[in-house]
Amino acid sequence: MTRNPARIAVLAAGGVLLLSALAAGGAAATHARAASGPIKIGISLSLSGDFSDPGKAAQRGYKLWAKVANAKGGVLGRKVQLIIRDDTSSPTQAATNYQTLITRDKVDLVFGPFSTLLSAPSAAVASRYGYAFIEPAGGGPAIFDEKLHNVFFTQPAPVVQSADVFAKFLLSLPASQRPKSASYPALDDPFASPIADRVRSLLEKAHVKTTYKTIYPSEGTDMGPVIQKVASGHPDAVIAGTQSVDAYALVKAMVQQKFNPKFVFLSNGANNPAEFPSKVGAKNVNGIFSTGDWFPQAKNPGNPAFVAAYQKTYGAGAIDPGSAEAYAAGQVVEAVAAKIHSIDNKKIISTLHTGSWPTVEGVLRWNSVGEPQGSDLLVEWINGKMYPVYPPKIALHKPVVPKPAWGK
Amino acid sequence: MSRATAATLGRGAAFTAVVGGFPFVVHAAWIVNIGVLTLMYAALATAWNLFSGYTGYITLGQAAFFGLGAYTLGIAFEHFGIGSGYNPFYALPLVGIGVAFASLPVAWIALRTRHMTFAIVTLTVLFVVQQLAFNLHSVTHGTTGLMLPTPSFAIGNYDRPFYLAMLAVLLLGLGICWVVLRSKLGLMLLAIREDEEKARGLGIRVTSAKLIAWWLSIALTAMVGGIWAYYLTFIYPESAVDPLVMIGAVLMTFLGGRGTLWGPTIGAMVLVPAQQYTLLQLGASQLYLVGYAAVFMVVLLLLPRGILPSLRSGLARLRERRRTKRPPVIREERAHA
Amino acid sequence: MHQVVQAVILGLLIGGVYALMASGLTLVFGIMKVINVAQGALVILAAYLSYALFSHLHVDPFLSILIVTPAMFVLGVTVQLVFVRSLRGPDAPELSLLVTWALALGIEGVLSVIFNTTYRVSNPSYADRSWDLFGYQVSVVRAFAFLASAILLGLLSLLLTRSRFGRAVRATVQNPTAATLLGVDANRVQTLSFGLGVSLAAAAGAVYGVIYPFNPGSHYDLISRLLSIVVLGGLGSLGGAVVAALAMGVIQAVVAVEFSPTWSAFSFFVVLLTFLLLRPQGIFGVRERTL
Repeated sequence: MTRNPARIAVLAAGGVLLLSALAAGGAAATHARAASGPIKIGISLSLSGDFSDPGKAAQRGYKLWAKVANAKGGVLGRKVQLIIRDDTSSPTQAATNYQTLITRDKVDLVFGPFSTLLSAPSAAVASRYGYAFIEPAGGGPAIFDEKLHNVFFTQPAPVVQSADVFAKFLLSLPASQRPKSASYPALDDPFASPIADRVRSLLEKAHVKTTYKTIYPSEGTDMGPVIQKVASGHPDAVIAGTQSVDAYALVKAMVQQKFNPKFVFLSNGANNPAEFPSKVGAKNVNGIFSTGDWFPQAKNPGNPAFVAAYQKTYGAGAIDPGSAEAYAAGQVVEAVAAKIHSIDNKKIISTLHTGSWPTVEGVLRWNSVGEPQGSDLLVEWINGKMYPVYPPKIALHKPVVPKPAWGK
Repeated sequence: MSRATAATLGRGAAFTAVVGGFPFVVHAAWIVNIGVLTLMYAALATAWNLFSGYTGYITLGQAAFFGLGAYTLGIAFEHFGIGSGYNPFYALPLVGIGVAFASLPVAWIALRTRHMTFAIVTLTVLFVVQQLAFNLHSVTHGTTGLMLPTPSFAIGNYDRPFYLAMLAVLLLGLGICWVVLRSKLGLMLLAIREDEEKARGLGIRVTSAKLIAWWLSIALTAMVGGIWAYYLTFIYPESAVDPLVMIGAVLMTFLGGRGTLWGPTIGAMVLVPAQQYTLLQLGASQLYLVGYAAVFMVVLLLLPRGILPSLRSGLARLRERRRTKRPPVIREERAHA
Repeated sequence: MHQVVQAVILGLLIGGVYALMASGLTLVFGIMKVINVAQGALVILAAYLSYALFSHLHVDPFLSILIVTPAMFVLGVTVQLVFVRSLRGPDAPELSLLVTWALALGIEGVLSVIFNTTYRVSNPSYADRSWDLFGYQVSVVRAFAFLASAILLGLLSLLLTRSRFGRAVRATVQNPTAATLLGVDANRVQTLSFGLGVSLAAAAGAVYGVIYPFNPGSHYDLISRLLSIVVLGGLGSLGGAVVAALAMGVIQAVVAVEFSPTWSAFSFFVVLLTFLLLRPQGIFGVRERTL
């Protein structure tokens, strides 16, 4: 009888799949969770693809925490072992990774990946299996809208509210110094345009007129026309929802068109002490406001030690806030384990919903869906350096208003 | 029933039994998860092959319709409340049919151009749909992403319904391909692939045939997109309309054998587990994209016809050599469809 | 009105650079019916080379064209010899589409590993300066980029019309069989033309990196625009590519100013699809005759 190759191939493929599955399943059985031995923490990170830069920064933060914790004897006397998998910046792969980490590698705990876009589906997977989802980088509305109770975002405030501190600052000024009108250009990005929108609604309530608002795409956009339209409304303040590259372009366009409003706020880009002056010109930075969740000089619990350990391990040079955020996630686990003498996920989830937890990002508290209840810092560039200027409790310099002319 | 038909039906039944029974035998969630992905790509590759393999027109817009299927299901949840649990699966055929009809005007414009232009125009459609997903904030939520409610399937076998749904779409696709191949439409498509002008000259309704194949292909693709969206419960423009997903399906079709019935499925069953295994072993490396491109290149350059046709001709040659103990006589090799 | 004219000026300037990138793409198609999907990735590769030369050796980006272009020519010739030439048979054009796509992914992967995904932009001292022309702002960088593109396109045109190589190229485009019969070495013409197409992308890439921030993933956005341009202009038509590129630049800039920046790329695609409805072969393309 003639053997048809198609049938052979199909059945062979099916057989291979089946056999490998059973073999792997058998192997997985030996990874059963133990009450002693190392504590395994599973993490899916973007080590390739669009998010690879922040993903690698988070990796450094996680690894540094594990190193520091293990040097102190580990958590509850057990060494911490990180199992990190690449999700290639794909949400499908991130969800698959957490499935594998939880059901094959049988990790004790999980930490979050980079970006809300990957954290949202991953949190759902973790929630299904009852795992706490302590995550440093998913702070956009999508993850809190899921209304999951296992999520804990380790930054002081949800990303959407990160610019609230600027609105508060403006409204704290005497009436003669406050801006009467504002313009809101924003990047089409889940972490940029919602921020600008929120500040706009806060300021509109305080009778600050909106002269112009717009959203621009991320690739191949000329900022010239955008700034043209912004400038034509003669606003007192330009409040932009940005990431880094468009922030630099906005500043350069404003310089080019010689447009100098009294207030300039960029939600991102201007908060990078290493890159900002070189990208827009060191003489152009003064008077620009920005916001951030972490700074090397911030007096948060464990921060000086973190900075020192980081520089010892990875060398001197700028520290990406992503590393601090990841490190904070580790600190939370250390703290809760010390408090309840257990790493049971259910107990961790219920414990973290009360009280405050000290980290390099500040002292963190969460509501029932994982939103942190604090606020970010307002920074301003003064005399070529970046200083936190508001709220007054943590300010290292008095804010300078209005903005000096470009090049001064 | 002819022997060939019986043989194919037998193969189909065996395949359904083995692959369908798989999640009832294996309970490790991560393996069923990989199974879901494998079947997803197999269905996508089969759908792509249904149009591009049979007509010879390479379409590079499939990801757009995958995304449209995903967003349609998501929007149906949000604005029409189609319920939870198993209901979305029953809504899938409507999603497929709707997206397929919506795609016809664009297909009609694109099919007026020649092969290479057609490929580029379909690629343009991909970017247009992605842009729409970004810009129509009120409907799609733009870059913030669209959420689908989480189904309350039993945690023990949570992935199984998705696995079976993907399998159902794959079987539907394979069934459609098989029926089309044996029908008049199939003959028309193959004639178009061989020589379109001649086919047109013979009186074949070329445009209608292509549009029907297109419609079927898009309907299947959109259904797969819907299942995927429900599986992840969160979609956004870059992930729903992702050229890399489409390129994966194309690669698997080429690997398995373009224009064959089982080729795309075989390609998927080889590549997806291999890719997941690589990610597991590599753990944390940056070389994923480079490795992917290399595999792609190797398949295209060294195995351009794919596994199945190469296997077939290899086995045919073996058969010839075994049968003739005398010095070989030059025989004509009959080309297989 | 002032804003619209300003936008038109901006659109023309950037359209010139896109014309340079698209010319290589359409040239290669005309000669060997190959769509080089990696053209966008090659532009980005050149942008990175120019950026590296600028940040480490302080070579002015416009001067770096002289270094980057010949280097990428060699790369283009190598790519054609290794990957593209081996494709044979009636499927070759479509296979080449996928092979060059794989090449683009490979380039993106390698660039991600070497330079990681931070956005870069070359920042020479004159980057922020602009001239005032009758009340309209003209950015110095963009004006120079347009000038460089115009010069290079002019040189290309001269090469194609006045040189022996150019005649061989045009003969191969019009009728490959006849050209071979007349003694034109088709293989050599194809290889050299592919290299030429890539070197044009390289020159454009060197200046692109001064205007727009880029990272390895930027090639998707680029290639989508370039493909639309060459289809609109008519596959294989150099003049068509130039006209279409300028049109694209203007349409995008005007839509960005008059409506919203998020719709500017979309509007160009819509124009393309509408145009194809009426004239499937593009502006200067030729309706497909029976083979």
